[in-house]
Amino acid sequence: MSKNFFEIKNVTFSIGGKNKVNDVNIFIKNEGDIICILGPSGIGKTTMLRTIAGLERINKGEIILKDKVLSSDKIHIEPEKRNIALSFQENSLFPHYSVDKNIHLGVKKNSPTNKNIDSKEIIKILNIEDILDKYPHQISAGEAQRASLARSLISQPDLLLLDEPLSNVDQSFKEDIQVALKQMLNKNKITTIVVTHDSYEAFYLGNKCALILDNEVKQFDDPYNVYHFPNSVEVVNFLNRGILLPAKVTGGNSLENDDLGIIRGKFIKHYPTGSSVQLLLQPEDLEHDDDSNLKLEVVDRKFRGTNFIYTLKTPSNRLIPVAVHSHHWEQHEVNEKFGIKRPIELEHIVCF
Amino acid sequence: MLKNLNIWFIFSLLISLTVIIPILTVFSSFFENTSNYFEILKNTFLFEYTLNSICLLVSVLILTFIIGTGSAYLVSFYEFPLSNFFKWALILSFAVPPYIYAYSLTAFFENYGTAYTILKNLFGEANYNTHIPKFDGMLGSILSISFSLFGYVYILTRASFLYQSQHLIDLGKNLGFTNLKSFYSIILPSARPAIVAGLSLVAMETLAEFGAVDFFSINTLTTGIYNSWIAFDDLAFANQLSFFLLLFIFALFIIENLSRKKAKYHFNARGGFKRKEKLKLNKSKSLFAFIFCFLIFFLSFLFPLSQMLYWTIKFPENLLDLDVINLFLNTIYLVFLSSIILILFSLISNYGNRVSNNKILNIFSTLSISGYAIPGVILAVAFITFIAWFDENIIKTLGFLSIKKIFFGSILGLVLVYFIRFYSLAFNGIKSGYEKINIYVDESAYLLGYSKRKTFMNIHVPFLRNSLLFVGILISLEIIRELPITLILRPFNFETFATTAYISASEDLLEAAAVPSLFLILIAALFIMITSKYILRDNNE
Repeated sequence: MSKNFFEIKNVTFSIGGKNKVNDVNIFIKNEGDIICILGPSGIGKTTMLRTIAGLERINKGEIILKDKVLSSDKIHIEPEKRNIALSFQENSLFPHYSVDKNIHLGVKKNSPTNKNIDSKEIIKILNIEDILDKYPHQISAGEAQRASLARSLISQPDLLLLDEPLSNVDQSFKEDIQVALKQMLNKNKITTIVVTHDSYEAFYLGNKCALILDNEVKQFDDPYNVYHFPNSVEVVNFLNRGILLPAKVTGGNSLENDDLGIIRGKFIKHYPTGSSVQLLLQPEDLEHDDDSNLKLEVVDRKFRGTNFIYTLKTPSNRLIPVAVHSHHWEQHEVNEKFGIKRPIELEHIVCF
Repeated sequence: MLKNLNIWFIFSLLISLTVIIPILTVFSSFFENTSNYFEILKNTFLFEYTLNSICLLVSVLILTFIIGTGSAYLVSFYEFPLSNFFKWALILSFAVPPYIYAYSLTAFFENYGTAYTILKNLFGEANYNTHIPKFDGMLGSILSISFSLFGYVYILTRASFLYQSQHLIDLGKNLGFTNLKSFYSIILPSARPAIVAGLSLVAMETLAEFGAVDFFSINTLTTGIYNSWIAFDDLAFANQLSFFLLLFIFALFIIENLSRKKAKYHFNARGGFKRKEKLKLNKSKSLFAFIFCFLIFFLSFLFPLSQMLYWTIKFPENLLDLDVINLFLNTIYLVFLSSIILILFSLISNYGNRVSNNKILNIFSTLSISGYAIPGVILAVAFITFIAWFDENIIKTLGFLSIKKIFFGSILGLVLVYFIRFYSLAFNGIKSGYEKINIYVDESAYLLGYSKRKTFMNIHVPFLRNSLLFVGILISLEIIRELPITLILRPFNFETFATTAYISASEDLLEAAAVPSLFLILIAALFIMITSKYILRDNNE
């Protein structure tokens, strides 16, 4: 079995004597991979990054990078000796240097890595060419964040840690930067851990995602699985991309809900016939069909560009989200009836 | 604690301990027996001493707040005739110590004084003395101290006003506030830490003030300390009074801290700072602003300067009698040596506190900066007491030669006590500079491969350059004007302008005191003028 490029083994992350995330086991298999740490604010994601960077110590477990133990209860390699870059969410630019000087302070002579990172390319991609001569107090929070990101990238780290890297960046070019950032990280094989509370950002950037909930890693898996096969109710609730409906297992590949009737599909986990479960229903699971005899009342409709997300009320007053393509020929207004195609067949059935 | 044990921590702890020793001496002597003087004082004058001190303190604080904040507000937010001149001219008040201001007040308003001479020359001989107000006693002390010290409030408040973003002002306008309402509900509260810092300095200086209060024969706790030591040779009681003064200062700090709760006032450097535009005032308001600032400038600087100049010209023989070059060299020597040592050690101590983030060190540092609250006279005595005890009980026991000669009546001893006295000024000044560097800056430096030493030298020191200069100037001005410590601990035949002025004034030779006073004012003013751009520099430039 080959060794992992980076690994966190049984580490409890704490700050100020208070445990934030317990008994964490996550890893990065290959150099250049990106993992995302996802979780609500204040859960300890930043503490994890600070600890990996060496700014906080650990009392339990091990943090290993390129076969070298960086942190354990006995070992603590100082941050300046780790070759790990951390791009803070807060403005961390040196206030008395221009943006240009700040960025180029990241250039390390005799860097231990041999990545040919082109600083000009980074500056261009991050769209900070026009602010190079300015000082940190003269630029916006978003610009400061991008400058800080550029400095981290230019430092050619073995491991790059990004703390909500685009939280202050304008929505208009957030997606462009996400794409360019991912390409740049992949091209230069920069191994990266991204902390974010934005699940879309995590799903796009990460080869794998670690979900931190209730002081522990609830799920560490690739983005597709995290979304489609959440392993707990907490993950479902955090992602907020579906609802849980009560249902009764009626066979090896079917269950029944009082409002929707029989639902067929492949169970990802076995449940005995007759058992009561909570079925995960995501917006794309149900199909629109006004010819169907199963009709539910529209209580809300959100335009999401490519989709409309309808919120439908069942006879038992449960609210179900249903996604419909925005070019779909027949849309409905609030209070109208919305038909659901029957029989309901799901790709896979996730229950709890 | 052990995790944070590094060279910076140890060095900071040692510095704090050095400064704390005389303070602990004051505290420990609280439990010692005192002579009968204590009983006499307790039954008679203690109430008067305390009342006078409180009266002086409250009056000075009110006056310095009004003058300091008012002038800082006008020059920071408005354009009016000579507003740019007043911006730096108002800090010239620092050049005039309270005791010289007191000499000037007396010289001008006394019977047959300068005011009388002016009236006589203008309107002929008459009995003007009964019509000329007398600014002596408590009123004289309040005015002398206030006009000499309001600069602390002015400088710190103005700096805080400069850091206020235009966004704050715009927010006020957006909420429909008038200029006045914006001032007291937005501008003033967000400058509160700076105002409080300025007033704290004023409070400590006022409680420690000796020269002016002694000159006007006002009995305060400080003169009580001096009398109990000089007249009754009761060092323990002098220390007890100092202890009482310290409690007073601590109580003020605690009240202020509690009232602040967890509110934060500093500018969060996340970008987006927008520089303020100065507003042009209309004619009448502009005239008012001009008169207000000119009056303060005149009363705080021009008035004492011209009074001293007048006497120097009137009695030129005093100038010829004075060894000006020697006094100048002595004064400058003390200033440079002390400033460099204070800045260097305070900088290291601040950095040690920052990187160690250790509660014990924080407590020691907080205690060590209380040296500023102890009157110079008692600090000097506490220092003598401690060295004598240390020499007797440690040095001689170990069989070494006495160290008294190294510290008593020597430059080393003098500089060491200056260090203890002004450590607070240096430490806090640099600390406020440090507060503008958020901790992520340090951490970013580490992550870029900078060691702690390199972060200190390459990131902090260049950024703090202005703060260091500012602190250096404040210390220099304090030392140029310092009186009691220099009087007690200076080497034999080593005089400065301040000691020469005091000795002449205490011998009732105010005319002779005018010459060294004038030189003191001029040197201090020159110092301020040369470096005013650093004192007043807007860090966003």
